[in-house]
Amino acid sequence: MRNTLIFAGSSCPNLTSQICSNLGMTTAAVELSQFANGETSVKILTSVREKDVFVVQSGSPRINDSIMELLIMISACKGGSANKLTAVLPYFPYSRQSKKKSHRGAITARMLANLLHVAGINHVITVDLHASQMQGFFKCPVDNLHAEPLIARWIRHNVPTWREAVCVSKNAGGTKRVTSLADALKLNFGIVTTDRKRGGGNMTASMIMRRLDGFEQDAEVDADVTNLHIGREDTPLEDTPTEEKSKNPELNNSDTGPGERKPEQKPNGTTPPTPPRPTNARPDIQQSPIRNPHIVTALRSSHTSRSPLVRSQTSPATPAPLHDLHDDLEYTDERARDIIHGRLVQGHIVPDDYPSPTPSAMSNSVILDRPDEDPMEMSRASSFFNPEAHALGGTGDAAASSDEEEENFTNPGVEQMITLVGDVRNRTVFIVDDMIDKAGSWIAAAETVKKRGGAKKVYCIATHGLFGGDALDEMQQCDCIDTILVTNSFPISAEKVRNASKLVVLDLSNLLAEAIRRNHYGESISALFSHSSD
Amino acid sequence: MATNSIKLLTGNSHPQLAKLVADRLGIELAKTMSLNYSNQETSVTIGESVRDEDVFILQSTLPGDINDGLMELLIMINACKTASARRITAVIPNFPYARQDKKDKSRAPISAKLIANMLQTAGCNHVITMDLHASQIQGFFNVPVDNLYAEPSTLRWIRENFRGGQGCVIVSPDAGGAKRATSIADRLDLPFALIHKERARPNEVSRMVLVGSVKDMTCILVDDMADTCGTLAKAASTLVSHGAKEVVAIVTHGILSGDAIEVIKKSELQTLVVTNTVPLGEKADKLGSKLRVMDISPTLAEAIRRTHNGESVSFLFTHAPTD
Repeated sequence: MRNTLIFAGSSCPNLTSQICSNLGMTTAAVELSQFANGETSVKILTSVREKDVFVVQSGSPRINDSIMELLIMISACKGGSANKLTAVLPYFPYSRQSKKKSHRGAITARMLANLLHVAGINHVITVDLHASQMQGFFKCPVDNLHAEPLIARWIRHNVPTWREAVCVSKNAGGTKRVTSLADALKLNFGIVTTDRKRGGGNMTASMIMRRLDGFEQDAEVDADVTNLHIGREDTPLEDTPTEEKSKNPELNNSDTGPGERKPEQKPNGTTPPTPPRPTNARPDIQQSPIRNPHIVTALRSSHTSRSPLVRSQTSPATPAPLHDLHDDLEYTDERARDIIHGRLVQGHIVPDDYPSPTPSAMSNSVILDRPDEDPMEMSRASSFFNPEAHALGGTGDAAASSDEEEENFTNPGVEQMITLVGDVRNRTVFIVDDMIDKAGSWIAAAETVKKRGGAKKVYCIATHGLFGGDALDEMQQCDCIDTILVTNSFPISAEKVRNASKLVVLDLSNLLAEAIRRNHYGESISALFSHSSD
Repeated sequence: MATNSIKLLTGNSHPQLAKLVADRLGIELAKTMSLNYSNQETSVTIGESVRDEDVFILQSTLPGDINDGLMELLIMINACKTASARRITAVIPNFPYARQDKKDKSRAPISAKLIANMLQTAGCNHVITMDLHASQIQGFFNVPVDNLYAEPSTLRWIRENFRGGQGCVIVSPDAGGAKRATSIADRLDLPFALIHKERARPNEVSRMVLVGSVKDMTCILVDDMADTCGTLAKAASTLVSHGAKEVVAIVTHGILSGDAIEVIKKSELQTLVVTNTVPLGEKADKLGSKLRVMDISPTLAEAIRRTHNGESVSFLFTHAPTD
């Protein structure tokens, strides 16, 4: 490409050279070093005047150094009269800090967006932002590419039994990502959730709280509220649970009345007939009015036995048409069978007769704290008046809650109730999230689906393989995980890769190279979002 | 009723200095929690309300960890801004990237300008710093910058430790520092000498030429920062070879990175005097009696107090607050 220069930051020279070779170019010359006191030094060794400049930089174990290097490179190119500056960030640093999680917490991702502007950026290309709302932090255009088509393609080509598989979310906040992949592959999905505050108490109540929190996090609350009442009015909820049910969660779990169950239509002929099918809810906002009323209504009545996520099937991969709406509402108590509990002590699933570390943890007496309160109010309360004083102690945020879970996983005094919703018996399971940082929640989810749910094989799938600390080793050693699939958006040291036989790394360079090429020639990049059919 | 009082926050780079400043001001450091995710991303939580308060955030540069310190400072500023602080003042005794202040080569980055923009973008309303490498950096900001001087403290130190400066000569180790050295020499009414060096690459020193007489005198080398200390060691040996009686160096920012400790130990320098703008850590122990530390926390504390009360800071340019 004429008049184009691609610079590589020190974090990802390999990825950049792959991108360049895909484009038939060489990486532009730059000398990156550090002064003796640790200040970053950048020397651009080629003229950038009036050029279309791309700077590729990912995260690294020295992430702040990488950021400074990127900013200084951009600033140097700007000072060297470059025509257009594009930052290519396969992994966007600080993307987990995209909202105020605690009192006086910083929105670091927004600040980083501002810093990139200050340095002189004109365009950003990134992959699978933790929260796509972050695109709004920038004043310039942001291309948020998706690795999902690549992952889906890998699954179709490399997993023999993928048509029988189930996509599982390991926390409530990440459910949208999982349903999206499940839609793309036309698969069922499930969810694993951990009770984090109530010891071994009523886990269903807290599941609902977390579900609410999850929606709060997704910044759709307003939409939910406005749609809530409409939804309640015109959707008769035939099995609104009674107060007694909410007060007796145990009863609910055993209360599986097959007589209530309606015959289900099969969306495709590949799934076994008996197990009820979790839905393939699509993440589109347009659809939230269809889905959310159930959720909130269920909450309103302190509905406990079923996760709102588990509804009868819609036709997968298609926006739910109106007639499916009614199918959606056909709650049957059959669903309750899909809920499987496990006990989690020190991050691992234990047998039911395992001694409880704390006597109070097993008490079943805890029900919703304030059953009469408006659930929406409560969700606000739970997120704004977060009782936990921990720095990372977030509310319903996916990242925060998973960080919190990690803490609890290693805390010997805490027993947690882990709950699997959805049928995974004798199936292959894809546990999906956007990044793998710490291993704890992945291992707990994998053990749950395998030991409690009876899954055949477990694939841990994420776009960004950060693998903080010894996470990769721990996952490698976990018997319940069969394959770990990530992309090369975040560089993984060769040393770690060598010891990880379960690790599969997908190459993003084609995707990024194509995005760069199309940007340079002013072509549409929307084709990069679509799934290939091969 | 809002009180609008001073809230002094500190990052992880130099808590000792922050403690000294807080003690001097008679206040407690505000509670903050700063920690790293496992992938080294920095996370900051401000532990108490800063709404409508006058926030001062003290962050120095920890050699080798400058970018982490900088990100931490930016995130803290941003956290305070989003927490509705009335004013946020960054107290940066040693301004990072101050040496990358001009486009001295083709396509060289002006990183100091970038840092200035970043601080303002994060939400900084005011900057207090000390002995900027180039005062022009003040012009990089669109907000007020108070560039304090360690000179009054230096003057007092020379008066107290060198009999008022008798038999001393002030030496600048390079041409760029001549102004700083002549200013001290004028104030103490002492002779002045200059060493001209030809620098091939940063942190490396080649040839040295001495201008002025130093024979049988106590030479006081004055500079704004001691990084790898190659310049100081070379200058000291040049001075000794020209017949100097003893050589001491007074430097504001003792960064002492790389092999600085070894270089100083082997050099002809009798004493290296630095201020505590940069955390020294173990280096102080390693150098033992060869290193002396001047405490500039009173100057910083006074600057913070005057800024908060809306008083003039110019007094501090000529006077060091007494202990």
